[in-house]
This record gives sequence, C-alpha cells and structure tokens, in this order.
Amino acid sequence: MNETKSTTNILVELATFYIGDALCGMDILKIQEINKLMDMTKVPQAPSYVIGILNLRGQIVTIIDLGKKLGLGATDATLSSRNIIVNSPGEHVGLLVTRLSDVISADTDKIERAPANMGGIQGEFFSGVYKTADRLIGILDINKVLRLEDQGH
Amino acid sequence: MQIEDDEILQGFIEESLEHLADIETDLLAIEKAGANIDENLVNKVFRAAHSIKGGAGFMGLTVIQELSHAMENILGMIRSRKLVPNPEIVNVLLQGSDKLEAMINNVHSSNDEDITEHLIPLNAIAEGTALQPAAPKPAPEPVIIEATPEPVVAEAITPEPVQQTAEAHNIPEEQAAPTPITPKPEPIVPLTSPTPTSTAAATTAQPPQVKADTSLRVHVSLLDSLMTLAGELVLSRNQLLQTIGSNDLRNAEAVGQRIDLITSELQEAIMLTRMQPIGNVFSKFPRVVRDLSKQLNKTIELTIVGNEVELDKTIIESINDPLTHLVRNSVDHGVEMPADRKRVGKAEKGIIILKAYHEAGQVVIQISDDGKGLDGEALAASAVSKGLISTEQAQIMSDKEKINLIFLPGFSMAKKVTDVSGRGVGMDVVKTNLDKLGGQVEIVSEVGRGTTISIKLPLTLAIIPCQIITTSGERYAIPQVNLEELLRIPANQVKKRVEKVGNAEVVRLRGNLLPLIRLADVIEAERTYWDPAEAAHKPDKRGSIADRRGKTSPLFQTTGETQEEENKSNTDERVLSDRRYTASSALNIVVVSTSSMKYGLVVDRLQDSEEIVIKPLGRHLQQCKGYAGATIMGDGRIALILDVSNLAQMAHLTSIDGTDRANEVALAAAELMRAQKDKQALLIFRSSEHEQFAVPLNQVERIEKIKRSEIEDMGGKRVMQYRGGSLALITVDNISAVHPLADQDDLLVIVFNICSKPVGLLAIGPIDAVEITTEIDGVTLKQPGIMGSIIIDGHTTMLVDVFEIVQTLYPDWFAEKPVFEIEKNSGVVPTILIAEDSNFFRNQVKGYMTESGYKVIEGADGAIAWDLLQKHAEEIAMVVTDIEMPNMNGFELTETIRKNPKYNKIPIIALTTLAADEDIAKGKAVGIDEYHIKLDKEKLMTCVHDYMKRLF
Repeated sequence: MNETKSTTNILVELATFYIGDALCGMDILKIQEINKLMDMTKVPQAPSYVIGILNLRGQIVTIIDLGKKLGLGATDATLSSRNIIVNSPGEHVGLLVTRLSDVISADTDKIERAPANMGGIQGEFFSGVYKTADRLIGILDINKVLRLEDQGH
Repeated sequence: MQIEDDEILQGFIEESLEHLADIETDLLAIEKAGANIDENLVNKVFRAAHSIKGGAGFMGLTVIQELSHAMENILGMIRSRKLVPNPEIVNVLLQGSDKLEAMINNVHSSNDEDITEHLIPLNAIAEGTALQPAAPKPAPEPVIIEATPEPVVAEAITPEPVQQTAEAHNIPEEQAAPTPITPKPEPIVPLTSPTPTSTAAATTAQPPQVKADTSLRVHVSLLDSLMTLAGELVLSRNQLLQTIGSNDLRNAEAVGQRIDLITSELQEAIMLTRMQPIGNVFSKFPRVVRDLSKQLNKTIELTIVGNEVELDKTIIESINDPLTHLVRNSVDHGVEMPADRKRVGKAEKGIIILKAYHEAGQVVIQISDDGKGLDGEALAASAVSKGLISTEQAQIMSDKEKINLIFLPGFSMAKKVTDVSGRGVGMDVVKTNLDKLGGQVEIVSEVGRGTTISIKLPLTLAIIPCQIITTSGERYAIPQVNLEELLRIPANQVKKRVEKVGNAEVVRLRGNLLPLIRLADVIEAERTYWDPAEAAHKPDKRGSIADRRGKTSPLFQTTGETQEEENKSNTDERVLSDRRYTASSALNIVVVSTSSMKYGLVVDRLQDSEEIVIKPLGRHLQQCKGYAGATIMGDGRIALILDVSNLAQMAHLTSIDGTDRANEVALAAAELMRAQKDKQALLIFRSSEHEQFAVPLNQVERIEKIKRSEIEDMGGKRVMQYRGGSLALITVDNISAVHPLADQDDLLVIVFNICSKPVGLLAIGPIDAVEITTEIDGVTLKQPGIMGSIIIDGHTTMLVDVFEIVQTLYPDWFAEKPVFEIEKNSGVVPTILIAEDSNFFRNQVKGYMTESGYKVIEGADGAIAWDLLQKHAEEIAMVVTDIEMPNMNGFELTETIRKNPKYNKIPIIALTTLAADEDIAKGKAVGIDEYHIKLDKEKLMTCVHDYMKRLF
C-alpha cells in the first residue's frame, strides 16, 4: 500500500530475514546471492561467531553466524536457514540467518532512527527501523556488523 | 601542473624508472673507469637523462625537467671529455638520480619539491668551480616569509599534496617559493631555517603513496603461446559442448583429458609470466655496497652471480628488504677494516659474493663474505649476558645452534650500535620475513674465514606442493618445504619412544630428541583419533601420548581423575580390547622444520601429497595465526594450510629447549647408542607371498601405492608415469632366482635414486621399517641381486641389492660413471684399508672396491687396522672405516692416524648407518674427511674415485 501513495519518494528494496525471532532487513543491492547451507570447513581458533569457511565457486567465503555476532546466541542450522552472501571489502562474507522472509519496498522517508536496543540487538548495528502495517523491521548496517573491533558481543 | 592524459603519464613514469634503474649501475661503471671513459656507457646515461628531461618537459613537470637537465649538462661534459668523472662527481650524480626517482614515484607533488641542494653542486661542477661537499648546507636566508611557520606546517601535513589552489589562498608567498622556474643559487626555502617542525612535516608530507599499479614486461613469444593455449581451450570447450549435446560418453573422456592437458599447460605458461629475473633485485647492491663501504672506510668488491635466475614476482618484491639487510650486515659486521685484514694476512680488499642458483626445485640465494666470521662462543656469551639463554643452555648447544642465536629477537652482535646495522632488530626480522615467504635461512660460518648465509626460497608462492593430513575430522595442508619426513610409531613402540621432558613431550628419532606438538591441542580442536576398523574419527580421551595407563600428566590435565580410576580398575580386561594396543593407536608424526628448529606434529592421519593453490583467508580469520591460508581440494571442500613456524610459537616451543632433563635424556640416548652395536635401518617388503625382502631404508626415496594397470610394458622394459616423467620399474625376480611378483592388483613402488635417475622396485605389502643389530649373513643366500640375508622376527629376509639389479638391467646408466683407470695414470694399484667389524659390510665394501680395481686390505676392528696400516704404510692410499667397532672405534682410529705425521695426509672416509649431525661434527673434528652411509655404493665410490684422482 505504501507504493501506491508515495510515487514521488525514493524506494529501497529490503530483503528481510529472521535472526532468531528478530525480523531484520538489508538493502537487497548489497546482497550478492543467497544460498542454502553448504559443506563448511571448521576453522579451529576462529572467533566464535565464525562458523566456518566454504568454497563458493572457487572463492573462499567466511561464514558468520549473524545471531552470535549480534549477541542473540547461536543460530541453529536447520532446513530453513540460509547464507546471505554479501560483498565485504576485498572478500565475500556469508551471513547465516534463521530463515528468509519477503522482499519489501520501503519508502526511505519512513525509515526511522533505530532505538538503543531492538529485540535484544544493540541499536548501533541498525541504520534504521522500518514500520510495516504489522511489524517492525530493523535495517542492519552491514559494515558495522562486519567490523572487527567488537568480537561477537 | 596539467597532466591530462593519465596513460601518457603512466608511460612516462614507467619509462623513466627503467632509465633510472640503469643509470645507477652505469654511473658506478663510469666511476670505476675513471679517466678511461667508455663513451657508449656515458652516451647511454646521457640519453637516459635526456629522455627524462624531454618527457618531463612535455608533461609540465618542471622540477624533474630542471634536475635532469642539470645532470645531463654534466654528463655532456664527461662525454666530450671536458670533465673527468671522479667519485665526488659520481656521488652528486647518484644523489641526483635518487632524487629523480623519488620525484617520479610521487609525480603529482614533484613540482613542489625543493631540489636546490642538488642543483648547487651540479651547477658548481658544470661551471668548473671548486666542488662543494656533497650535501652543502645552503646559507640560510631567514628573510623571506612573513607568514608564520604554523600554517606552513598545517599545509604540509595535508595528505593530498595536489590541493594547490586551496593552499595558494593561505600563503601565496610560500606557494610561489618552492616552484623555482629558474635555478637561483640562493635557496628559497632555507633548509635550516624556520622551525624544525616544518622540515619534519615536509618529509611526512610525501605520503608513502602506494606505487601506481605496477605493470610487467612479458616476452611476446610467451604471450603468443598463451594465445595459442587459450585458442585450444576454446576449441576443446566447443568439442565438450558438442559431446555433451550428443551424449557421447566415450568422446567426453577424450575431451576431458584434452582440457586437463591444456589447463595445466596454460597454468604453467601463466606462471611463467610472473617469473622475474632476480637481477632486478641484485642490481641495486653494487650501489649499496659502494656507498656503505665508503662510509665505513672499507674496500669491498661485490661479485654477483646468477642474475638470470627467475623467481615469482611476489617473492622478488618481498625478498628485497631481507636481502638488503643481509648485505649491509656483511659489509658492516662481516668484512673487517683494511688494517685488520692486513694484520691477519688477508687482502685489504674484502670480497662479498651474492649468488643465486637453482637447487632441488628451489632457488638458493647465497651471501658470502671473507670477513671475520661469526664466533659461536662470543654469540653464546652475548646471549647469556643479555639474558636470552641460560649458561647451562649455552653449554649444551652445538656450534650451529650457537650461530643460530643471531636469529633470536633482541639479539645484536655489534659491539657498538652503528647507523648501518646493529640496532638489535635485525636478523630476527629477516627471518620472520623469510618465513612468511616459505623460505629458510642457514648460516655457515668459520671464525676468521667468513660467513655464508644461504636462503632457500620456493620458486613461486601461488602453487605449492603440500602434504595433506587429517586431524579432528578436518583436512589440513602442510607445505612440502617445511616437511622433513613422516614418522609412524607403531602402537607397541609408543611407550618406549615417546618421553616427557619437563612438560613437553619428545620422541626419540635416530638418537636425537624431537619435541612433539599435537596439532589438535595447538589449534584447540577436539582431540580425536582415526579408527580404521570403523573408518571414523573418534574422540580421544588420553592424556599424554606415551601415557599407556592413564597417568595424569601436568600438561594434559583434561583427562581428569575419573579416567584414571577407570583405568586402574579394569586394566586387565582392557588389555585386549583397548585400542591403545591395536594398530589404530600408532602415532602419526609429521616432522617439520622451520628455519630455526625441527619438531614433530602429531596428527590423526597422513594422506597424499598434492599441489595446491593458496587462497587468502578473510579478515575475520586474520587473528588465527596458525594458518597460512586455505586451499580448495579436489572434492570442492576447503583445507586450511598450516603455518608451522607460527604453530611452534603458539605451542611455546623454542628452539633452545635446554632443560636439564633434556640434556640428561639426550646423554642417556647417546649412551644407549654407543652401547649398542651398529644399527641398520631396513625397509621390509615382499615380492611374492612367501619371501620376505629388505632394502636399506636410507636408500629409499619414496613409496607409492599403484594399481597394476598403471604399469606400461614398453620396449621390453616396464615403466610407469611418475611426476611428469617415466619411471623405470624393476622387480627382484628380474635377475634373482626368486618367486615372481605376486599377481595382484594393488602394488607398491619403492622409489630409489640411482645414477641420479629414479627407479621403482615393484613390491607388495606388508611393508615395515625395522632397525636391526644382528649380523647379516653374506654367504648362504647370496646370489645376483641379493647381497645377503638376515632373520627378522622369525622370518628369513633377503637383502636386495638394488644397485646391482639396475646395473644389470640398465648398464647404459653407468656408462658415463668414472672408473678408476690405474694403469693409465701411474701403473700402481692403489690399496685401500677397510676397518669394519661386521663381516657382511666388510665384504660388501670390499666388493665395491675390488670391482672398481682397487686392492683392499681389511681389518676387523680399529686396532687391527692400525697395525695393518703401520705394516703396509707404503701401499695404503686411503682408509675407509666404520665408526662403531670393538677395541678401537673409528674416531679413535682416526685420531691415532692423524696424530702420526707420517699418515696425517691419508684420506679417511667414515661409513656409518646413522649420520647424526653431532657425529659428523665430531668426526670432522678428529680428522675424518668424508661421511658416507653404508651400502650407498654410488656415493661412496664417487667419493673414493674423487680422492684417488687427487692422489694419483
């Protein structure tokens, strides 16, 4: 319904997904691809939020448990969990999420500042919050999430 | 500055840098020639300066243009012989070319550079006025600027030196100043004047700009072959698509093979484009040595050998700094002052040799000097005084270990700190850098004679051969350069051979103690073991490796009390079912070496060796120091590449593990060795089911598992494809009357190296390595191809003479081998004295000698040999002795011989089964000339021939 009203406003398409029970989203243009869990290689001594590395068509991709990285606890690898492959500077990084949700078009004007804490995730990881008719979507700031200083919590 | 076309600018930069690279060496040559001017050379440098000037003018790079113009002037004068080049003039020119290079590397800010300090001496030379010292301090002109120095600083710090307009607003005077259009003799920005901060800032103002994208020169023929290969690849792809379309499976296989072939050729060709001659790095050293030796008042001649040796581009780039450091070290610390050299009877001119060559698939770079050498004792004393090692540690260290102390962090040998080298950070950094490249450093030094540092480098970093191992269910790759050997300790020997020293576990390996690290513990993975019965990894709950009864150890506390209790209660019932007593409990150890030490890595399983492509790990994994990268295996999964030197650090393993206990155990082990008779390590195998054979283990290069179908019967000989070539295959029954090779599909190939050609002996399992001390029977079962027999574990075992088999089957291989020609040379048959207590070995060695035409006198121990030597003093030309003998051992015999002036010139060759470094050192100390391994006929005889040739 938003789309019909705000033809003059700038729309971004958000890919939304669940991390545990929290609904998050990110700009779909930042996503290279989404795939099912593949055969991963464990890396002993890696930071706890790194589940492993996998071979994506000849590229080595570090897979990060988004739940753990954001302090929500480990994500269970189930049939519905997916890897969202994003382009991080100089490499590809895979983000493990609990399950995918829809792609929605969001009106940039309606994206609000994120609260200090949202569904157990610190506000600093969000670039904003988008309100749909029935839900709140936290828009993840992927660069912040992938920053190295904060190791997990 | 109007630089419109980036491409043209880039071209200018590259071309100019190339010119400058040549200028340096050429100027040095000009300096050497002095008045005897080589016009061609001067012309070349002149043209180089001229082209830079021209290009710079075109680009509007006025400062570069000006400097090159001034240099060109002088070169012009040298060319027309108006000026005789002397070191001062060349110095000024060299400094000028340095400045040019700096400016060209930072071309966008070059117009803001101040070059007066170069222009003044250059112009002075050109005008023929008396030459000022190389770096004149121009008289300060404090007048110029009204603007406070502060804004100058602020401006200078801005990282983008290109922002001219913005700056121009702030301080117009300053802006105008550093762009002198005409060379004014008065300096405009005084070097010494305003505030020290501004000069300091000026240096920081040149951001360490990453050199613009480097380009590479590739030979057209190489590009052509790349094109051809790419074309072939396209054709094969079309073929493949076609076959897939028509579902033609048989053809698909052929196409697959074709693509396989083309891909590997393509890969090779592409790798070649990355290869660069090491001369690119070497070329700067004449200058480095010249400048430095001048500064230190030494005379040194640098000889460079092997400029054409090629290495991967990345290695060439990273080898630069470590090499520079080593060369500077040689100049500063290695070569003595001329006066000191004269006093010890050396030529005043010191010699440094920089040499690159290929060896065993690696490139070796050697830096040797004829200076004062490294004094192991002094190094050790210095390390003790610095608190790096304890006095006790120093006492038990071998000379080599003492010299290697130089690699310890915080160690500097220089008595006083010079600005050249010796700041206490040095060799350890060099070593770390080389470790990163997969290189190894070795120092050989003799006090008073000089030092040779050898660096071994892999040819390329991109693709490396690796040993694949498994631990905790994951595969890991260990670079082959770090690999020394693979060791499997059978379950029943683990307790005997693995010990605890302090809180570290060690294994006895040929009389030495090797520290052990468990891979699973270092990387904190779950400790597992491989159960071949169930083909699965299982969690391992044992404590220390040698712990067969669940004793708790201080290192591996994790087992806890419960395990111990449990063990105590039912040890008896468990004996049979306990896996500790089954084959799976054998210990797999990968013996790896870093440049400073050797240790054993305990892993679950050993797998194949493979060539792998290194891929870097993501930044989230940079903190994991234990990995050098990752690679994608054939099945698409990833294996991590281990960094063995970092693993050693993570396990807190230091090369100097000199606890009292280690000392004690080492002594005990040495004692044990001495008490035992000669040990001979044998590899046991079978050819048919019923007969057991053995070969000396030290002759074996490799063992490969193959299928019978891989064997090809060609021209009456059996061969197989092996590492890109053909491997000649032999069997024991080729020449010996034994049962033929068993008719089974899975075969083993034991690879030997004879006449520097690989040869494979076909065999079947089970194979095992044993050490025997019993006497070999050289009579009962002797026949062609069999040198003797021995009883091992109740089986009669025939000792195979691979050398003889090969000699019979492939006589051509020996065609060019030197045979001692007695008559031709002197008419005297040289006599060799053999001292050996074992009948078998004595007869073997005697056989080798008589076959080659020598006369032999034999003695059953050292004392008998000594008597014989005195009796036959006139005839005996050489002594070949065993080490371990009753009554008088080889060391004692050698000492006795050397003490007597009558015999001290006789060459003495020692034969041994185990050539430990310490033994070799001890042997050399008492006067043994060469060490050889028993039964290695080829090497022994080559050596004997060499000595004989020298004698006659």
